[in-house]
Amino acid sequence: MTTETTKMTARSVQVFYGDNHAIKDVDVDILDNTVTAFIGPSGCGKSTFLRCLNRMNDTIDICRVQGEILMQGENIYDPRVDPVQLRAKVGMVFQKPNPFPKSIYDNVAYGPKIHGLTRSKAELDEVVEKSLRRAALWAEVKDRLHAPGTGLSGGQQQRLCIARAIATNPEVLLMDEPCSALDPIATAQVEELIDELRTQFAVVIVTHSMQQAARVSQRTAFFHLGNLVEYGETGQIFTTPRDPRTESYITGRIG
Amino acid sequence: MTAVSTLLMLGILATLGFVLGRRRALASVQGDSRRLHSLPHYYGWAVAIWTVLPASVLFLAWQTVAPLGNAGGFAVLALALGGLVWAWLRSSATFRARNAVERAVMGLLILASSIAIATTAGIVLSMLFETRNFFSQYDWTRFFFSTTWSPRFQGDSDLGFLPLLWGTLYISFIALLFAVPTGLFAAIYLSEYAGPRLRAIAKPLIEVLAGIPTIVYGLFALITVGPLLRDYFAQPLGLGNSGSSVMTAGLVMGIMLIPFVSSLSDDIISQVPQSLRDGSLGLGATKSETIRQVVLPAALPGIVGAVLLAASRAIGETMIVVLGAGAAAKLDLNPFEAMTTITVKIVGQLTGDTDFAAPETLVAFALGLTLFAFTLCLNVLALIIVRKYREQYE
Repeated sequence: MTTETTKMTARSVQVFYGDNHAIKDVDVDILDNTVTAFIGPSGCGKSTFLRCLNRMNDTIDICRVQGEILMQGENIYDPRVDPVQLRAKVGMVFQKPNPFPKSIYDNVAYGPKIHGLTRSKAELDEVVEKSLRRAALWAEVKDRLHAPGTGLSGGQQQRLCIARAIATNPEVLLMDEPCSALDPIATAQVEELIDELRTQFAVVIVTHSMQQAARVSQRTAFFHLGNLVEYGETGQIFTTPRDPRTESYITGRIG
Repeated sequence: MTAVSTLLMLGILATLGFVLGRRRALASVQGDSRRLHSLPHYYGWAVAIWTVLPASVLFLAWQTVAPLGNAGGFAVLALALGGLVWAWLRSSATFRARNAVERAVMGLLILASSIAIATTAGIVLSMLFETRNFFSQYDWTRFFFSTTWSPRFQGDSDLGFLPLLWGTLYISFIALLFAVPTGLFAAIYLSEYAGPRLRAIAKPLIEVLAGIPTIVYGLFALITVGPLLRDYFAQPLGLGNSGSSVMTAGLVMGIMLIPFVSSLSDDIISQVPQSLRDGSLGLGATKSETIRQVVLPAALPGIVGAVLLAASRAIGETMIVVLGAGAAAKLDLNPFEAMTTITVKIVGQLTGDTDFAAPETLVAFALGLTLFAFTLCLNVLALIIVRKYREQYE
C-alpha cells in the first residue's frame, strides 16, 4: 500500500449524550484502501465515534456532536450536507445481522432503488449480482435470490448485509463489530471478505477482538474512556505501543 | 339437603383435606420438609383437589338429571369424603404432589379453552335449528336473491336479505375507508415521529374514543353529523334530503374505529426491531422511505389483524346504524340515502310481540347465521393473507 490518500479526517470531535461526555477531543485520519480498526474496552466510545462518521447519531435525540469531520475537504456536519446522501456514501454494517424481511434480491436492491442508481431492471440485476459476488455470497444464493433474506444462516445474513451496504457504491464502509454474533467459521469468511473489500473502499471496523484487529487491519486506534489514546500502524500498536494504557489493554491487564 | 348447603359442605371438606394432607405429608418425614418430594402445600392442594373434583362432577351430573335431593347431596359428600381419604392416604414423602397438582391445573386450563369452543358450537347449532325452521316455511331462493325487504306480520312478507347485506357492506366500507387511513397514519405519527412526551399524552386521548358507548356515537350521528351532511352536502349536491344516511353512520362508525386501528397498529409498529430501521437509515434511506419500505411491510400481518378487528366491529355495529342511517332497507348507491343493516333488522324482528313460529321472526336467525358465516369467511381470508405474507418473509 503506497497510495495512502486520506478519505476522512476527524478533528477535535466531541460527543455528548445528554450530560455525558462520551467522546473527548478525538483526531483520526481514515485512509483510503485501508482497514482501520477501533479497539478498546466496552463503553470506551469506539462505536459512538464510528456512528459519527455517517451521522447515524443524528437519529438519537439526546446526542450532540462537536468538532469537524471532513470527507474530501467538506465537513459532513455542515448544515448544507444532507445526512441521507452522506449515508449512501458512507455505508454501514451492524453488529447483529439485520436483513430486511424481504427477499435476498430485494435486500441488495434496496439501496440502489432508493437512490435511483440504475435505469433498468437488467442494470439492477447486474448491481445485485456484482454486490453479492463482492460479498462472497453469490455462489451460495444465486439459485434462490427470491427466498427471504431472513432464512439465511447468521454468517450468510451478515454477508448479505455487507452486499447490501456495498450495492449503493459507498466510498467508506463502517462495520460495527460485524463478527460478534457469528461463529468462528463465519467470522473467518467475513474477515477474508473485509480484506478483499479494502481494495475498493476505506473500511473502518470496530472490534472487541484484538486478534481480529491484528489480523484484518493496517491501522489501529485505541479508545479508552472516550479518549483516543493511541493511533497508528497496527503492527506498531501491537508490538511497540507508546502509551502505557495501550500496552495494558493489549496485554489483557485492563478492559 | 339443598345444592347450596352441599357446596358449602364440599368447601369445608376441601379445606379440611388441605390441612390434613399437608399435615400427613409433613408427619411422614418427621416435620423435615426438605425430605418431601414437593413443598408441603402441594400435598394439601392434591388432597383438596381429589376431594372437590370427582364430587363436583357428580354434583353437576346429578343436577342436570334431577334436582339434588337428600340422596344426591349425600352421594356427593360421600364421594368427596372418599376422594379425601384416598388422597390423604397417598400423602407421603414419595408422592409427587407437585406434578399431580400441575396436571390438575392443566386440566382446568383445557376446560377453560373448551368452554369457549363449545359455546361457539352451541351458538351455531341453536342458530342452525331455527334457521332450518325458517327455511322450511320460506323459500331460500327468495331469501338470498330477492331484492325487497318488507316484512308484514299478517303474513306474505318479502324477506329478501340482499338490501340488508348491501347496507351492511356499504356502511362498513365507508367506515373502514375513513378509519383505516386515519388510524394508520395516526399510528405512524405516534410511533415514528412523535416525541415520548406527546405520545404519552396523545395515545390515551385517542384510546378514550374506544371507551365511548356506541349509543353516544349514535346520538352524535343523529343530532350533529346527520343534519350537517344533509345541509352542507346532500342538499346542495341534490342527493336527497334525508337526515339519516349511509354516510352519516359510516363516518361516525369510522370515528369509533380509529382507536382500534391506531392503537393496535401503533403497538405493532413499535415492535418492529430498531435494527431494521438502523439498517435502512444506514443505507441512506430517509425516515419516510424507511417507514414505507421496511417498517410497514414488517408490521403488515399485525396491521391486517387490526383492520380485520375493526371490520368485524363495523359489520356487527347496531346502535350507530339505527340512529345514523335509519331502519329502511333499501338497495341504493347514493350514500346520502337512508339504509340499514342486518343487525338492525335482527333487533327489529325480535322486539315487540314475537311469534316464534312465524317466518317474520325466524328470519332473524337466518340473518344471524348469514352474518356469522360472513364474518367467519372474512377472518379466514385474513388468516390466509397473513400466513402467505409470513411464509414469504419470515
